[in-house]
Amino acid sequence: MYDRMQELNQQDFSRVHESAMDLLKNTGIVFNDDEAIEIFKHNNVKVEGKTVFLTEKDVRAALEKAPATFTVAGRNPDKSVAIGGDDFVFVPGYGAPYIIDAQGEQREAVMEDYDTFCKLIHTSKYIDMNGWMMVEPSDMPPETVHMDMMLSNFLLCDKPCMGSPVSRQGAKDGIEMAAIVFGGKEKIMDQPVSVSLINSLSPLQFSDEMVGSLIELARNGQACVVASLIMAGASGPVTLGGVAALQNAEILAGITLAQMVREGAPVIYGSTSSAMDMKTGALSIGAPALAKNTNVTAQMARFYNLPSRSGGGLTDALYPDGQAGIESALALSTAARSGINFILHSCGILGSYIAMSFEKFLMDEELCGMVRQMLKPIAFDDEGIDVEMIKKTGIGGQYLTNPKTFKLCRTEFFLPDLMTRMNYDAWSAGGKKRIHEVADDKLSQRLAKYEKPDIDPAVEKELTEYVNRRKNA
Amino acid sequence: MSDLKTITETLISGDVEALMSQVKEALEKGTAAGEILANGLIAGMDIVGERMETGEMFIPEVLMSAHAMGEAVEILKPLLAEGETNTAGRVIIGTVKGDLHDIGKNLVSMMLESAGFEVTDLGVDVDADAFMKAIEELNPHIVGLSALLTTTIPAMRDTVDRIVQSGKKDSIKIMVGGAPVNQAFADEIGADAYASDAGSACKLAKAMLR
Repeated sequence: MYDRMQELNQQDFSRVHESAMDLLKNTGIVFNDDEAIEIFKHNNVKVEGKTVFLTEKDVRAALEKAPATFTVAGRNPDKSVAIGGDDFVFVPGYGAPYIIDAQGEQREAVMEDYDTFCKLIHTSKYIDMNGWMMVEPSDMPPETVHMDMMLSNFLLCDKPCMGSPVSRQGAKDGIEMAAIVFGGKEKIMDQPVSVSLINSLSPLQFSDEMVGSLIELARNGQACVVASLIMAGASGPVTLGGVAALQNAEILAGITLAQMVREGAPVIYGSTSSAMDMKTGALSIGAPALAKNTNVTAQMARFYNLPSRSGGGLTDALYPDGQAGIESALALSTAARSGINFILHSCGILGSYIAMSFEKFLMDEELCGMVRQMLKPIAFDDEGIDVEMIKKTGIGGQYLTNPKTFKLCRTEFFLPDLMTRMNYDAWSAGGKKRIHEVADDKLSQRLAKYEKPDIDPAVEKELTEYVNRRKNA
Repeated sequence: MSDLKTITETLISGDVEALMSQVKEALEKGTAAGEILANGLIAGMDIVGERMETGEMFIPEVLMSAHAMGEAVEILKPLLAEGETNTAGRVIIGTVKGDLHDIGKNLVSMMLESAGFEVTDLGVDVDADAFMKAIEELNPHIVGLSALLTTTIPAMRDTVDRIVQSGKKDSIKIMVGGAPVNQAFADEIGADAYASDAGSACKLAKAMLR
């Protein structure tokens, strides 16, 4: 198959790989966690203080143990998802401190916003997994908010979800809560029920919170994305080739630690590296550099036979406007078409991760549906072509009243919820609504219809008690 | 009464075979043909029209219901009393001279038929003479003119002028439509109505003859 966007050729793979091996062996990488250092020492890895020097042999051994595909179980088993191979999942936006509302006003996000996102994800036709920290609730105590978010994840939505990597203890809390939901730690040990986001601290470091979380999650069979977010020109080289090598070193180092903690720990090769805007010094996630690096990430992950992660509907725009639509569509479709398996930030992000928007969330959701439809294969079999029908209709005939058109009119094409397809008169008569206004209307309708998914009351009680007990400890 | 309700539902579902057998069954049970037509079939097409407008029913589904309606009416026709026909009015329709596009025009034509109009479709590239000839022969209530190309809308003006000159304009409503046409243009050339899509064309046609 020919695709103009193939960032790496066979020779490039080797160069990126060898450069990363050179960095890991000779420059090393810092792990700010005592247990991690002990684990590396135990595996005969050269360590100087907190700097770890990995050899290609160490990395290769880890890559052999990491699974190419795995499933993440949902509270509703029908909604479990496959990660890796040809499959891909859409996962919502992550980590935004603010909400930008329908009027374009920015405010601090609160717990109610978090819950609203859980409800939207539960009722979404196109989002496959719930996230974690879609927004950071500012009205809850920061020491324990990770448990409030986890509780909402389990109570308001029955899809598989992301986990809590805030700290070693934060990861443990997430694991304990998942164990309550799924009937014990032994039940989730070999069947991941969460995917947590572990980020490096570029260049060439991992913070104590991230390493502690990675160790606890891997130890308990939970999946982790090991990801790098390099600002090209600031926290990494200005050239994307250099970014590819540097992020490769960081990601592979994290994956190697995970496999040393537990052989076969499910991991995802991730990156959302992009360009620094040279005028403002800010990260730009609407830049073509982001899409290019997304393609690199997908290709490198396939080179190592690992599932991949990138961003999705990403934009620097501060309102769900034309810029937001352009940038998000390019980023998300590039991710899906490049073969990314875990498409984080699929929906809702505005302003280079600074805010979530409910209206943008619905717009991106429609984009997810369109992209999934775009990637569905066309049938070229007898039924798909049906040359006899074309002959029968003949020259100058019509297919409007053909029984096949009738039969397939609801299923053959994507049915938009937001996109305008009316003519000018009808659009004008309807109040000349633009897409964010249509999304705003749909938002309230959708939330009004939301029903909390069933859960065993005993499980709900135990979960709530766990959170209360930990909060009072 | 419950038979008629079933007929209405079957018509809406577009199941031609089932509708025909249900209509025959109702006749065998002694239900009058006029009753079946008015309270079973036409009632059903009214619902279909509403559902198309709200987007609940899709165009191929509406056309399938219309087709089913046509088949059922064929069974009833010989049994209908004088004045009990389903004709909402006579329409002639065509794409004007110089234009070969017909999907929009065909759609309007089928929608009108489904609403009970007796439609004569003159096809594409129809000049003013051909429209006039058909008007003489068929004495229509409505003449529909369609165009897609901006270069052919002068032909629309010519055709309207010819109808006016013939003195028949008083007994005929002229409707125009097509992508380059709008209300202002319709007003300018002296057409009676402009519709922006097939559904509203059908609604307008009914309203004008009421």
